[in-house]
Amino acid sequence: MTLLMVAILNFILFRVIPGDPSSLLLGGARISVTPEQIEAQRQSWGLDRPMFPDQVVDYLSATMQGDLGYSFKFRGRRVADLILERLPATVALVGLAQVIAILCGVMLGLYAGWRRGGAIDHITTGTSLALYSTPAFWLGMLLVVIFSTALGWLPGYGAHSPGAVSGSLDWLLDYLRHLALPVAAVALGLIGQYVVVARAAMSDVVTEDYMVTARAKGLTNGQMLMRHAFRNAMLPVVTLIALNLGYVVAGAITVEAVFAWPGIGGLTVEALNARDYPVLQGIFLLLGASIVVANLVADLAYGLLDPRVRQ
Amino acid sequence: MSESTVRYSPRGRTRAIKSFLCQFLGHGGAQAGLVCLVFFLVLAAAPNTLVGPLQTAINATGDFLVPPSGEHLLGTDEVGRDVLNLVVHGARISLTIALLATVISLVVGTSVGITAGYYGGRVDVWLMRLTDFFFVMPSFVLALVITPVVLEVMGRGGDILGFRPSLFVIIVVIGMTSWAFVARIVRSQTLSLKERTFVDRARVVGSSNIVIMVKHILPNLLPQIAANGALVVAGAIYVETSLSFLGLGDPLQPSWGTLLALAQRAGAASAGAWWDLGAPGVCVLTVSLSFVLIGNALDDTFNPRRRVIP
Repeated sequence: MTLLMVAILNFILFRVIPGDPSSLLLGGARISVTPEQIEAQRQSWGLDRPMFPDQVVDYLSATMQGDLGYSFKFRGRRVADLILERLPATVALVGLAQVIAILCGVMLGLYAGWRRGGAIDHITTGTSLALYSTPAFWLGMLLVVIFSTALGWLPGYGAHSPGAVSGSLDWLLDYLRHLALPVAAVALGLIGQYVVVARAAMSDVVTEDYMVTARAKGLTNGQMLMRHAFRNAMLPVVTLIALNLGYVVAGAITVEAVFAWPGIGGLTVEALNARDYPVLQGIFLLLGASIVVANLVADLAYGLLDPRVRQ
Repeated sequence: MSESTVRYSPRGRTRAIKSFLCQFLGHGGAQAGLVCLVFFLVLAAAPNTLVGPLQTAINATGDFLVPPSGEHLLGTDEVGRDVLNLVVHGARISLTIALLATVISLVVGTSVGITAGYYGGRVDVWLMRLTDFFFVMPSFVLALVITPVVLEVMGRGGDILGFRPSLFVIIVVIGMTSWAFVARIVRSQTLSLKERTFVDRARVVGSSNIVIMVKHILPNLLPQIAANGALVVAGAIYVETSLSFLGLGDPLQPSWGTLLALAQRAGAASAGAWWDLGAPGVCVLTVSLSFVLIGNALDDTFNPRRRVIP
C-alpha cells in the first residue's frame, strides 16, 4: 500500500515538471527542431498515449521490473545501476551505526530506566536529549573539526585515501578509518533517541505489578532484570528501531553530504543539485521499499519477543 | 466525575489555569526551555535593532574567516560577514519557518484526526490509511523529493507573502508532511470523547456535526495538541535545517541550515573554523531542545499518569 502510494506520488511529481523528456533530449527550444521530430520522440517515449490508464500502468509495470528509468546527469545511465553501485557504502555506514547505537543506546537507556534518578540516569538522559535534538550532520561537522582538522587522527573526507590499492588489508583498514567519523556521527544521533525510548520503556516496566511479584518471590535484581524486565521493555524499543529506519537513512543522507561519503546520500545531493529527478525518485522508491520491509521485520520480531502476538 | 456536578464558573477556570501554570513551571526543563525560547524570540523579533541589517558579501564588515574577537564576537564567515549578525537574522527565518509549518501541520493533523475519529467507518479507514503513509515516510524524505519539483514549477524568483518561494515551499511541504503523528493522537482522543454525555447532549439540542466537533470536542483536545505541537516544532526545525543544508534553502534569506550549508561548502570544517559552523548549530540544538523540553513538560502536566522522560 505504502509502496503503491510512493510509486503514484513519483508518477505525479514527475509529470508536474514542465517540459517532457523529448524536449529535454532534443536540446530544448534553442535549437530548431521540427514538430515532426518532436512528435516522433513523443511516440517513441510513449508520451502521445493517454495519461491514464496507459502511462500509469506502463510506469508501474516498469517499476515492478526494476526499471527505474535513466539519469539526466550521468549521461543516461540506468537509475537502478547507479543506486545499486552506491548502495553498499550506505549499507555499511547505516548498518554499523545501527549496531553500535543499538548496543550502546539500548543498554544505557535500559540501565538508566532501571536505576531511575541515579547519577548515571541524570547524565545519560540529559546528554541523550541534547543528542536527540542535534542534527546528525552538525555532529559530523564538529567531529571533523575536532578529530580531523585539530587532532589529525582520522580522515574527514571520502572513503579512500588517494592511491589505495583495492583488496589488500591496508585498503580495508583505510576504508574503516574513513568510515569511523561518519559512523560516529550517525550513531551518536541514534543513541540519543534509543536511550530516551529504552529508558521510558524500562521505567514503565519497573512499576508493573509483576515486578512487585517478582521481588516478593525473592528474586535478585539481576534475575528480575533478565527474566521479567528486559523482554517487556524491549517491545517498544524494537518497534522504534524498525520504524526508525527511514529516519536513519534520512539522517545518513545529510551526514554523507558532510563527509563526501560515496553512498546514497552523496548521490541524493548530486541528483538534487543537478535536478536529476529520475535518480531522486529512484532513491525515494528505494527508501519506501526499505521502510515497508523494516515494518515487516518489526512485526516478525514482535512475534518472537511477545508470545501474546503469536496466537 | 460526572458533568452535572461541575458547574461552569469563571473563578474555577482561573484556578485551573493557575494550578496548571504552577505545575508546568515546576518542571526544571520547562523553565530552561521557556527562558531559551524567549531569548530566541527576542532575537527573532528585532534582528535589525540588535545587530543591524543582514550582511551580504557586499556590505560584509570583516576579513575572511576571522576567529571570534572583540569586534566580531562570533568571528566572520568565508566572505567576511559577521557570524553573530547572520545567526541573529537566521533566528527569525528558522523560527518563522518552523512555527508556520507547525501551524499547518497541526491544522491538517487535527482536522484529519477529528474527522476520522468522529465519523468512523469508511471515512476513518481511508483517512487513517493516508495517515499511515505519512506516518511511516519521514517528513524529510518526502520534502526532499517534493521541494525541488515544486520549486521547478514555481520558479525561485519573486516572493510570496514576504518569503522567498523556496522558503514558502519548505514551510508548506514540512507542514503537509509532518501531521500524521498529531492526526493519530487526535483521532484516538476523539474516539473516546465522542462517547461522552456532553456530546450526546449537544446532539439532542440539535447541534450539527461540525459544531459538535469544533465547539465541543476540539477544546478538549487542546492539551494534547499543544504538547505535541511543541514536538512538531522541534521536528520542523530539524527538517528545515537538513533541507537547507542540502541546498534547498535560500541564500538571500539564510536560515541556520543555510548558514551550515554555506560553511560546509566553504570547507569551514577542514579549515578549523569552528565558530562559523558552531554558532548556527548551537542555535538549532538549543531551540529544538527547548521545544522538546517544553513539549515533555506539557505532556507530563496534562497526563499525570504518564511518566515522561524529564
